[in-house]
Amino acid sequence: MDRFAAFKWQALFTDWRIFVDGLGRTASTAGLALLLSLGLGVLFGMLATSPYRSGRSVSRLYVSLIQNTPLVTQIFFLYYALPHLDVVLPTPVVGILGLGFYHGAYMAEVFRAGIQAIHRGQLEAGLSQGFTYAQTMRYVILPQAAEIVLPPMTNQAVALIKNSSILAMISGGDLMFQADSWSASTGYYGPAYLTVWLIYFSLCFPLARLAKHWEEKSARSRSGEVKAA
Amino acid sequence: MIEELLALAQWHNLRFLWQGLAVTLQISVLTIIFSFLLGTVLGVMRYSGHWLLSRLAAVYVEGFRSSPLILLVLLFRFTTPLKPVNSGTLAMSLFTAAIVAEVVRGGLNAVDKGQWEAARSQGFSWIQILRYVVLPQALRKMIPPLIGQFITVVKDTSYVWVTGVEELTGKGVIILGQYGTASQFFAIFGLIGLIYYLLCWGLQRFGLHQERRMSWLTM
Amino acid sequence: MKRVLGLMLSAAFLLSVLAGCGGASKSSDSGSSGTLPAQVQKIKDRGVLKVGVKVDVPKFGYKDAAKNTHEGVEIDLAKRIAKEIIGDESKIELVGVNAKTRGPALDNGEIDLVIATFTITEERKKSWNFSDPYFVDNVGFLVKKDSGIKSWKDLNGKKIGVAQSASTKKALTEQATKDGIKVEFMEFATYPEIKAALDAGRIDSFSVDQSILWGYKDDTNEFLPEKFAPQEYGVASKKDNTELAKFVNDLLAEMKKSGELDKMFEKWGLK
Repeated sequence: MDRFAAFKWQALFTDWRIFVDGLGRTASTAGLALLLSLGLGVLFGMLATSPYRSGRSVSRLYVSLIQNTPLVTQIFFLYYALPHLDVVLPTPVVGILGLGFYHGAYMAEVFRAGIQAIHRGQLEAGLSQGFTYAQTMRYVILPQAAEIVLPPMTNQAVALIKNSSILAMISGGDLMFQADSWSASTGYYGPAYLTVWLIYFSLCFPLARLAKHWEEKSARSRSGEVKAA
Repeated sequence: MIEELLALAQWHNLRFLWQGLAVTLQISVLTIIFSFLLGTVLGVMRYSGHWLLSRLAAVYVEGFRSSPLILLVLLFRFTTPLKPVNSGTLAMSLFTAAIVAEVVRGGLNAVDKGQWEAARSQGFSWIQILRYVVLPQALRKMIPPLIGQFITVVKDTSYVWVTGVEELTGKGVIILGQYGTASQFFAIFGLIGLIYYLLCWGLQRFGLHQERRMSWLTM
Repeated sequence: MKRVLGLMLSAAFLLSVLAGCGGASKSSDSGSSGTLPAQVQKIKDRGVLKVGVKVDVPKFGYKDAAKNTHEGVEIDLAKRIAKEIIGDESKIELVGVNAKTRGPALDNGEIDLVIATFTITEERKKSWNFSDPYFVDNVGFLVKKDSGIKSWKDLNGKKIGVAQSASTKKALTEQATKDGIKVEFMEFATYPEIKAALDAGRIDSFSVDQSILWGYKDDTNEFLPEKFAPQEYGVASKKDNTELAKFVNDLLAEMKKSGELDKMFEKWGLK
């Protein structure tokens, strides 16, 4: 148990700033990546359910490509390969783009399912009223889809926060990297990893709880829903 | 550019990558099997509503689910005397089991409660109902999310590289260290990406096939 | 049927995991005419010496993909120690380690010794036992030929890629303070990644022990003239494994005296 010796904890607390820096980088990267993934999710979710063949194909291609290759491969590609085309993205940007596009594919599937869950009649009603496809989406379908979509979307957000730890593999300065770097130079990996686990837990667990709460609420309200003939 | 690619496309490099693929497959298969078994047990524990079992399972599930996989892989590497391949497999198995547990729980919840009453009236015990009536039906609903998670397992084996395990991604990075031009970089990444893509796509087809098979049976 | 298969497979998995756990020690049937201290005897009884070595440092510990071999002077040294303890130099298990994993691998009992370009430092001596040095090297730098960087001082304000947990970062920080320049470090887990980062222009220089750098020299990069901070490599063992440490050290001293150590290094064109 000397992995968790008292003096090691002391060293950790003396260097707390390093971990706070890491947490800040994690928060900012995850936050921006989340926004990007939401945007991509809505865009490709709509494309996937559009009446246009090309739109559906593009969406399917994007989702299939991203979901069937590891995040590590995608990030390594952005980080190590792109510079050979003279595209040198700063490390945080690699994280944001990589995470955003990766989870964007999963968000796209979430939105696609959500949109498709709304009864087709809604779309027809909207179109019959003179709305364009895009307007129907914006004012009729998406607001309803939002309730269905909220729980799985939150779960994706949790996954994104966890995956932000991939920055540790490209010297990205996030929480995981700092824990790794600090414990590599001091050798005190016990306290470092445990503390970081606690921090990730306190970020992810409340969000997961929230998702579950919304899921139950949505299930309750939908069970009372009268299904249109 | 052609000479560069030819320099890369040597037999020993391909064999090198093949060794990595073998490790990736080994970790994936073991993780899938182990996490499925453990996850099912945990999911049933949660579903049971038993005051102790349910709580224990909940603690396990939430604890492992809220942790980044990289962290678990590193933690297990440094605190267990296992070979890196095994500590990585263990970390991935325990992590994936937590996620499988939730899928199983969801699947069980989706089975109509009436099934329980009907079976109970026939004199089946709780375990018997679970094994012969409820689980089989739940299984069909569980296949898509499970397959999705197992595909993620195959992809996440790339995280094990941080502990020095030479799986496919690791082998790729090592080769990268020996070659430095643009075309070679893209070739290596392209090949590795393609291999992962084929693996995952294959798993997806398998899952679809299984799902179709099961729905035909329960028709 | 599927269920039974699944149970059998999981049992197999559990068994293989436990088997990896330090393993059931097979005691040799020979009555131990033990002049060996207890800790060393344990290794002899187990029948295999587990040593952590590098896989990516040519001449020291290198897995050659083309020849499908794992060879180097440190591996020769490991085999020599195995011969001394167990009597057979093939009774050895070589575990690939890098700067980050070699220390923890000793701590958790995965390996008995580390012979992996492990630099002896005062701080590290607190955590592990080190033998007397068997080789001395310096920290060197690789830069891209067209970078315009010609010396250490040119690295002021630039990014240097180092391996996590290697002694390089500390050595360079000290030297930088002495010379009044400021450098930024980027840390990676393995050397190939640092090389890839150099190729990609993510770092301006790849810095680590010179002998390790030789493995990554190619037509696109060149060495800087400076070499600092003599790095003494030692054989490391777990802190409480003092008997093994002494045994190894005595063997090393013997090999130095008899000239065997020098011959070993000359074979690889070192020293």
